[in-house]
Amino acid sequence: MSPTPGGAGAPRDRLKVLCRRAFSFLLDWMAWGYVAYCAMYLLNYYWYTVHVDWWGTLTLPSWGWPVVILVTLELAVWCRSLGRSLGQRAIGVALRPVAGERIRLGQRVLRGFLWHLSVLLAPVWIARGEEPLHDRLARVGLRTETPDPERPGRRAILTQWGFFALFLGALTMCVGWLIIGINLQVLIRRAPQAGRIWGEMLRPDFRYFTAPDPVFHLRALSYSILDLTVVTVFMALVATVLGGVMAFPLSFLGARNVMGFSPAGWATYGVIRGFFNVFRSIETIIWASIFAIWVGYGTVLAGILALTIHTIAALGKLYSEQVEGVSPGPLEAVWAAGGSRIQVVRHAVIPQVLPSFWAFTLYRWDINVRMATVIALVGGGGIGDMLFYYKNQGDWSKVGAVVMVIVAVVWAMDYISGRLRERIA
Amino acid sequence: MPTPYLVIDGLTKVYERGQVHALRGLSFSIEKGEFLVVIGLSGSGKSTLLRCINRLIEPTEGKIWLDGTDVARLSAKRMRRVRRRIGMIFQQFNLVDRATTVRNVLTGRLGYMPGWRSLLGLFSSQDKRTALANLERVGLRDKAYARVDELSGGQRQRVGIARALMQKPEILLADEPVSALDPATSHSIMQYLEQMNRQDGVTVIASLHFLSLARRYGTRIIALKDGQLVFDGPPKTIDNAKFKEIYGEDAEEVEVR
Repeated sequence: MSPTPGGAGAPRDRLKVLCRRAFSFLLDWMAWGYVAYCAMYLLNYYWYTVHVDWWGTLTLPSWGWPVVILVTLELAVWCRSLGRSLGQRAIGVALRPVAGERIRLGQRVLRGFLWHLSVLLAPVWIARGEEPLHDRLARVGLRTETPDPERPGRRAILTQWGFFALFLGALTMCVGWLIIGINLQVLIRRAPQAGRIWGEMLRPDFRYFTAPDPVFHLRALSYSILDLTVVTVFMALVATVLGGVMAFPLSFLGARNVMGFSPAGWATYGVIRGFFNVFRSIETIIWASIFAIWVGYGTVLAGILALTIHTIAALGKLYSEQVEGVSPGPLEAVWAAGGSRIQVVRHAVIPQVLPSFWAFTLYRWDINVRMATVIALVGGGGIGDMLFYYKNQGDWSKVGAVVMVIVAVVWAMDYISGRLRERIA
Repeated sequence: MPTPYLVIDGLTKVYERGQVHALRGLSFSIEKGEFLVVIGLSGSGKSTLLRCINRLIEPTEGKIWLDGTDVARLSAKRMRRVRRRIGMIFQQFNLVDRATTVRNVLTGRLGYMPGWRSLLGLFSSQDKRTALANLERVGLRDKAYARVDELSGGQRQRVGIARALMQKPEILLADEPVSALDPATSHSIMQYLEQMNRQDGVTVIASLHFLSLARRYGTRIIALKDGQLVFDGPPKTIDNAKFKEIYGEDAEEVEVR
């Protein structure tokens, strides 16, 4: 989709071309802007961490920002003229000569200089479906780059955009490492302390496996490891069943192919999908802290509500994606036989999606058991309540006992749900 | 003067904001009991024509008179009642692969069932007997409780025919019913359609790729090219010149025996 000489194309298409070229240019400019940011970060890091000059302050002079903007702009322009830039690769175009097979270096340099003269008017030309002046005078043009089926393409790393992409990746890794500022030496330095804890945990104290631990009598609770483990598994089960039952009807309302293309269909689809996305992006542990305040800290109900809400949203999204992926043939057949929308869902969609619905639900139970072991940290109840109490007391051998039971339960659940899913698929 | 059974009048279908014209003012009519074969290249509008008749695709313009009612103007609810009288079979069979054969056949009955019964999947014992009888008719009684994904292509299309039979249709639309099948199976499927046409008096409109099949089974042939009618007449009158006109200069006739 590049502007062709002669001003062809509908206004809509020409606007599209303009938007694509603007996007491509901004991408190159922003990429160099990002490089500039990284460079400044590295300079800062050198100044305060390596060079260590606490008194000599390092600030950007007042003319610094305009200079950064102009320098990155120049770099982007020359990248776009002298080879195939990342932005050009992103929209699938490359600079090509108007006449002849290859583009000469002189033409590229000329285009780079002429760009400065015609840049402000370039959008006008492109919007009118013509080449901008710098392209016309240098006898080049941005053309859709299609791979030549007869010849192999150049390896990405040997092209300008490939090299630049790799450079950006490497720069991000280096700067990222400095930004998070982790120090792996503590792993070694504090190994003796950790060793003591590991030692205690590996000598687990199973005294309160079945008998209630008296330390919880203070909170008027009768907690034993076995009791709370059973409670935790059932929390996950109840939440999964409730969540699945509620997600099931909602998932059809959040599927494009079932809802059709009427305004009401679009609205319902949008609302349901929005609900799924928002409620799913709030993690179970956050829901648990909300419900802990609402219905009581450390109660099982808070945990179940948190797990259920997140399960509805997560399963709903997975379900409706399955519904959207059904083969359309059987739907068409039921329509053709005079079926209604609800009959299409019941007799053409549900038979196709039911096995994967079961598989997702089992998988979700698995996830919920794991989540249920930790939501006690924010007051969601379950086995985690014991775990974090013992941890805060520094009672590491009891922590070890609880952790071992959790590992056993999670492993067993994982195995069972895995085997069941295999049978269904 | 009795009007023909089905009259297509100026049927036009435009896709994608006016970019693609699938049908351009198509007009013809069919008498009851005809076996009409629609031929033409891929993309000539055969599928669109068939799907406009039962409004799986909304026509852009034109009238479709079926037995005196304009199908193109009906409300969605009344259209569903009309669709019960129009059976359809498909190139890709359009069966639920993981359901049993008899379940698939029973879905042909959905148009006649009240909502709550169909929601619970409670088909009447009468319907179940009819489904088994229809499977018997297409020679698949022994596969009634097998899953559809265990069946061969030809068997699947026979399930599709049994499903259409459940509707007790007056008219059958067959959208390239044998394109996914080998020649021997194709003939067996076409013979079932012929039988429906002759014994039950079902009007058949079938789109086909092979002219030899069209000649053998059709009582009348229409040919489409770029959404327009380029031929309408009995099978015998298609000669080599006509053939080249329909399929283009480079075409060579392929025989299915």
